[in-house]
Amino acid sequence: MRHGADLMTSIEIGIAVSVLMLVVVLLGMRVAFAAALAGVVGLVWIFWSKKGYDPSQFFWALGIAAKTAGQVPHSKVASQALSLIPTFILIGYLAYYAGLTKALFQAAKSWLGWLPGGLAVATIFATAGFAAVSGASVATSAVFARIAIPEMLAVGYDKKFAAGVVAAGGTLASLIPPSAILVIYAIIVEQDVGLLLLAGFLPGAVSALIYGGLVVAMALTFKNFGPPVGGFSWWDRIKSVPSVLPVVAVVLVIICFVYNPFGEEAWGTPTEGGAIGVFIVFCMALISGMRWPELKSALLESAKLSVMIFTIIWGVLIYVRFLGFADLPNAFADWISNLDQSPMLTLILILLAYAVLGMFMDAIGMLLLTLPVVYPAVMALNGGEAVTAADSTFGMNGTMCAVWFGILAVKMAELCLITPPIGLNCFVVAGVRDDISVQDVFKGSSPFFVADAATIAVLIAFPGIVLFLPRLLTG
Amino acid sequence: MAGASTIITDDSLLSRLDQKLFRIEGWLALVSGLAVFSLIILAVVSVSGRNFWNQPIPGYVDWIEQAMPLIAFMGIAYVQRQGGHIRMDLIIGLFKGRALWVLELFSVMIILVLMILLTWGSFEHFLRSFDFAAPLWSRDSSMDIAIPLWPAKLIAPVAFSVLCLRLVLQIWAYTRAALHNVEHPIAVPLIEDAAEMASKEAASVSGFDETRG
Repeated sequence: MRHGADLMTSIEIGIAVSVLMLVVVLLGMRVAFAAALAGVVGLVWIFWSKKGYDPSQFFWALGIAAKTAGQVPHSKVASQALSLIPTFILIGYLAYYAGLTKALFQAAKSWLGWLPGGLAVATIFATAGFAAVSGASVATSAVFARIAIPEMLAVGYDKKFAAGVVAAGGTLASLIPPSAILVIYAIIVEQDVGLLLLAGFLPGAVSALIYGGLVVAMALTFKNFGPPVGGFSWWDRIKSVPSVLPVVAVVLVIICFVYNPFGEEAWGTPTEGGAIGVFIVFCMALISGMRWPELKSALLESAKLSVMIFTIIWGVLIYVRFLGFADLPNAFADWISNLDQSPMLTLILILLAYAVLGMFMDAIGMLLLTLPVVYPAVMALNGGEAVTAADSTFGMNGTMCAVWFGILAVKMAELCLITPPIGLNCFVVAGVRDDISVQDVFKGSSPFFVADAATIAVLIAFPGIVLFLPRLLTG
Repeated sequence: MAGASTIITDDSLLSRLDQKLFRIEGWLALVSGLAVFSLIILAVVSVSGRNFWNQPIPGYVDWIEQAMPLIAFMGIAYVQRQGGHIRMDLIIGLFKGRALWVLELFSVMIILVLMILLTWGSFEHFLRSFDFAAPLWSRDSSMDIAIPLWPAKLIAPVAFSVLCLRLVLQIWAYTRAALHNVEHPIAVPLIEDAAEMASKEAASVSGFDETRG
């Protein structure tokens, strides 16, 4: 047993090192290396403090720290669950070459164009469909900026609004499976990946419906909004279906590999489901004319993005290894759960903090850096990892609380893709369209920001939307 | 995002070394990409084998765990060269000229010290499972079909050493930039604002649709 004085010091070391990490991140050090640096410095500090800061023992402490940290990259990365991340990244690049974007937009247009604001509604649902074969928001916005904006402008939509629709539609990819960011969350908090992937489905669909409803309401309220586009026969509609079937197939495959709706055993693991999904899209891309140069570029881009994400993951896990020695997460969780205010208020404040932080930082980096400390605190708020639904604060057991918080945090982080100053989706849309400024895209997407705030409120008020599918899986 | 920043080249020794190393880094990154693809093939063979021939791939999970270090580490220097590891450049983006290069120099020097420590630490991790005297030179092996683990453990220190070389080149380049106070130094990624980054991101998914019509 350590006695009180020691414990104090290690928590203080934990706080000091975490502050150091935030400072170097603010000063512009690459996030992955800043986290690993904090971890190594912290380990050296803790080990050296145990030797009473004896100068002759410094290199001993350095050696132990390097060996402790040096195990982390290989041992943490060589895992089956993490293999979903590169898989979900690759599927997005291949989906682009498979020509699914145009097919989705055509289908959505012929089925939904008759609605008030029809083209914008079609854009929302086409991006939602593309999200089902892509795990990344930014690419979705880039692709649809090319396809959907020209058509909307041609029938007289406001330029700002057309751009805003595309930027906002791109954010749907983060919740609708396959979602790379949900896999990362699941791994960091050590929850089941399949549960989180399933959990994203309904909130993603709800987000798309709220977006769609918003567009219809705006079209009914404002004059000279984009007109409905008609003239599609039922035959046109039916004809548009086969070309989007691969999307349906990918969704079904991924769901059936996680949870079999027919009540039998699931077909396999999420890892297999994800890979089979990629294979379907890969075959489609081959049929649509993808050859080695395109495949090579898709592979290289996937490798780059994967390496970037994995570097942050192992960097943060070195920091987490140190945090364990410093006992900081427990101390923080104690403090949070003993605050003299309602736990729900605390949770909402945490989510708001994410919204503010997300305005200045990439979503993946932000979640990875903060979750090691924030997640145990949220679990403590609910009554601990092992709490039953009856005894808990938020009315759900530990696992379900982890899933619910994950969806809320990811939705919060993605919200920031359409807020100034660095909302990347808006920059991408402005980058594709020379005639639309970033400010215009931010203005155009602001109604969707309000819609997202409403979605988050709904998900907080009715956790059942998030937890319905995961509860089927856990029985 | 994993965008690629602009990197200026010329025919100086530094720039030639930069481009040579970049070729190697490019090959390593492609290995990582192919490893991603191998995951897909592996799953297809495994699932179809299990369902159609009642013959799953022996050690499916073992092979995935062997492929993961290739994916996770091989491209690390490639991404560093292109300035693709994410960071917050809100503050550092305010600096210009010599002040900026000195700040970058400090940051890269600290990362080099860190990576030398981690190269050593991860090499120690490899040494614990490597033994010339043991069968297949291996002291430990994977759970299911007993593949030796040392090759996968060796990937991290190898990739980290390439990253160290890259960092040395960047230290050289930033030092030169700070000494001569140049505006556009060679061989290092230049800071881009969100708009420039976004237009590159957009360009990476353009063209294919248009040409197919």
